[in-house]
Amino acid sequence: MKLRGGYTVQMAGKPVGSVEVLPDPDELYLPLFSRRFRFTELCVGDGDRVRPGKVLARDPSNHGVPLLAPREGTVRLNAIPRHLVLQNVSAGVPEPLEDSDEPSHIPRNLGSVEMKRNKLLLLGAWQYFFDAHSGALPNPFGTPQAVIVSTLNLEPFLGRGDVQLRARLKSFTRGLEQIQTLLEYQPIFLILPKVAAALAEQVSQAIRGYAHIKPVHVPLRYPFDNFTVLARYLGLKRQKDQPVWALRTEGVLALDRALTASKPCDLRVISIGGPAATSPAHVVAMPGYPLKTLLSKRIADGPVRVLNGGVLSGQEIAPDQAGLDCECLGITALGEQTEREFLAFVRPGAGRWSYSRCFLSALRRPMPERMTTAIRGEHRPCVSCGFCEEICPAGIMPHLLHKLLYQDDLEAAIKVRLDLCVACGLCSFVCPSKIDLCGQFQKAMETFRMEQMEHMAQEAPA
Amino acid sequence: MKLLERLLDRTRGAFAEGKRLHRTKPVFDAAENFFFAPISRAKSAPFVHDPLDIKRLMSMVIIAILPALACAVYFFGLHVLAMVVVSYAAGGIVEVLFAVVRKEEINEGFLVTGMLFPLILPPALPLWMVAVGVMFGVLVGKELFGGTGRNLFNPALVGRVFLALAYPAAMAGNWISPVAEPPGRILQYVSSGAVDAIAGATPLAAAKQGQLAGLQEMFLGNVAGSAGETSALAILLGGILLIMTRVASWRIVVGVLGSFLLMETVLHYTLPGPIPPPMWQLLAGGILFGAFFMATDPVTSPATTGGKWAYAIIIGLATALIRHLTGYVEGVMFAILLGNICAPLLDEVAVAVRLRRLAHES
Repeated sequence: MKLRGGYTVQMAGKPVGSVEVLPDPDELYLPLFSRRFRFTELCVGDGDRVRPGKVLARDPSNHGVPLLAPREGTVRLNAIPRHLVLQNVSAGVPEPLEDSDEPSHIPRNLGSVEMKRNKLLLLGAWQYFFDAHSGALPNPFGTPQAVIVSTLNLEPFLGRGDVQLRARLKSFTRGLEQIQTLLEYQPIFLILPKVAAALAEQVSQAIRGYAHIKPVHVPLRYPFDNFTVLARYLGLKRQKDQPVWALRTEGVLALDRALTASKPCDLRVISIGGPAATSPAHVVAMPGYPLKTLLSKRIADGPVRVLNGGVLSGQEIAPDQAGLDCECLGITALGEQTEREFLAFVRPGAGRWSYSRCFLSALRRPMPERMTTAIRGEHRPCVSCGFCEEICPAGIMPHLLHKLLYQDDLEAAIKVRLDLCVACGLCSFVCPSKIDLCGQFQKAMETFRMEQMEHMAQEAPA
Repeated sequence: MKLLERLLDRTRGAFAEGKRLHRTKPVFDAAENFFFAPISRAKSAPFVHDPLDIKRLMSMVIIAILPALACAVYFFGLHVLAMVVVSYAAGGIVEVLFAVVRKEEINEGFLVTGMLFPLILPPALPLWMVAVGVMFGVLVGKELFGGTGRNLFNPALVGRVFLALAYPAAMAGNWISPVAEPPGRILQYVSSGAVDAIAGATPLAAAKQGQLAGLQEMFLGNVAGSAGETSALAILLGGILLIMTRVASWRIVVGVLGSFLLMETVLHYTLPGPIPPPMWQLLAGGILFGAFFMATDPVTSPATTGGKWAYAIIIGLATALIRHLTGYVEGVMFAILLGNICAPLLDEVAVAVRLRRLAHES
């Protein structure tokens, strides 16, 4: 498959390239949920004093991935609903963010593959792995057909892979070596940007000589960092027992930390950006970091929507979430729309930049816009303008799917390959009729999966 | 501005649920949204949106039609403006009525239909015919199919076909002979009663008798014909703007004009009898106006790229064939409606091809 569609979303509020280390807080609020995980199996009691790296809870439906204690502290189970609170947290030993004097290659014979994989799971590095096709957590003891390592993060405002790479190139290449020791002879695809960047050149230099690592260059357009898109681009088909593993830069670094240094992965580099962020930047924070402390002074006053993840595929942070969850890639602050434009439709659009280059944006150069939550228009019926089809990275026809789903014809929608949707949100982004295509497709896919499961359950006893 | 906002805020209550005026709420909403864009926040991902919206898309088309409208008023007089007003009023009544009955919002797609419709009519047509035509077009061509976005045919063309079949004499005779010297007919009101201003025939009709109008006259618009199609220059100005801003699909325009020229060339050299050269044919009649403004309507044209090419070629070929091989003088109207009928089928084929390519992806 060729890479098709995609879009470079120009928006003001990109995080700068420096990384700020935050002071350890006194209390940590660890959410017992995240996008993929539900930590329902508690492993500690109320009032226990736990050491850093101690397993606090597990998710039994996801191969028992642990929720680790990032610091030493006293456990409170019922202080905040859906959270596990660590009180009287003692400060950790500060560690350098840059590469230290550790060896640049891994020592040989560090134990069996099973041991290593167990270690990954226990030290919290396994959560960085994804099944490229489904986005779920792969089985840590399964055999992949290939591994995709993406250094890109193309959604606007999210943490940039290059920021983490720059300081930790040695750990990164060592991490790639470690991945190889987990595998037999499966290829590792390293996704690099298709631009002449010094850093990409450095990475290519560093991996020269690793026969099993295959560099793949993709254009810097959202969502070409999406694992499903990449897997299809690389021609990796969905197979039942041979998933495609995928991980990002931070995953490789976490894996290196777990396997080379045998330390728990307690810190994450996340971005705090977006049009409503006062000083967009990257910060180093641990899961459970109080959101209030984290976001105070970093977000502009006034009505602001705070998102977990990016503006195109993120989720709104639940009002009862008190601390950073263990899967957060970045926090995006987006101003709410408050003003109504007077005679908006006669404005020629010199001050706006449109994907479709309607109005005057056809005659001017791209520019970053300060965006809000406004959907900027009214809901209208689909006029088959075809902009959604043009931008779709999966190569499906959103306008056609919309019409079929409008008729409640789920079966026909599946036939026109609704299942290929990667939920990047670009179709909803460009739609001039402001139809929530992406949301509609997600809902339809959920219904389809439910129906399939029911169908299977009915057939099983017979 | 503040005053207007306060006025709207105060009157909103009268249209609330249970109040007497509630049934006409779409009218109030349309008026309110005309002045002030509504506050509409994204509820789920994606949380940001592109500024392109349907209202702007439609206003873009209207802006692109303005040069053609200006030429029509210049060459044929103020009656054309009266036709536009009547078309908006009569068509608007149907649109609002249906919006109220269906409890839906009023769509701005009508603003384009209401503007295009008078421009494809003879410029001296009685106003009541304009009203009847646009009402039929909007009602049968659009509302009966379910409103904007669901119609099979271009509503303006449906209205025109209705008029052409119901009042053939009026539709074939109400041409005005243009005045080119400044200030043109810009200060005159020429209706069907003004016998001295009525022209005998359009260039296409005259050509069948062997009289060819000059190329320059036709390019600038100094010829009799439907109101909007008179000046090729004005149409090109608006049309190129539409293509540059990507409101109209260039594939359709290129396909229609290319296949039309090709067919005309073939006919010019093979058919016996006086068939004017292809370039002359391009400037005469409604082919340019139809290619830029009528055939490119996204709703009634195919949505797929392959479908668009096929659709455009059907229109181009059919126009040339109808012009020379049938009793009709002009064929654009029927050709585009023919293309409209074919559009769903062409899409079906293009989608099937596309799906075969997607079939191997997991």
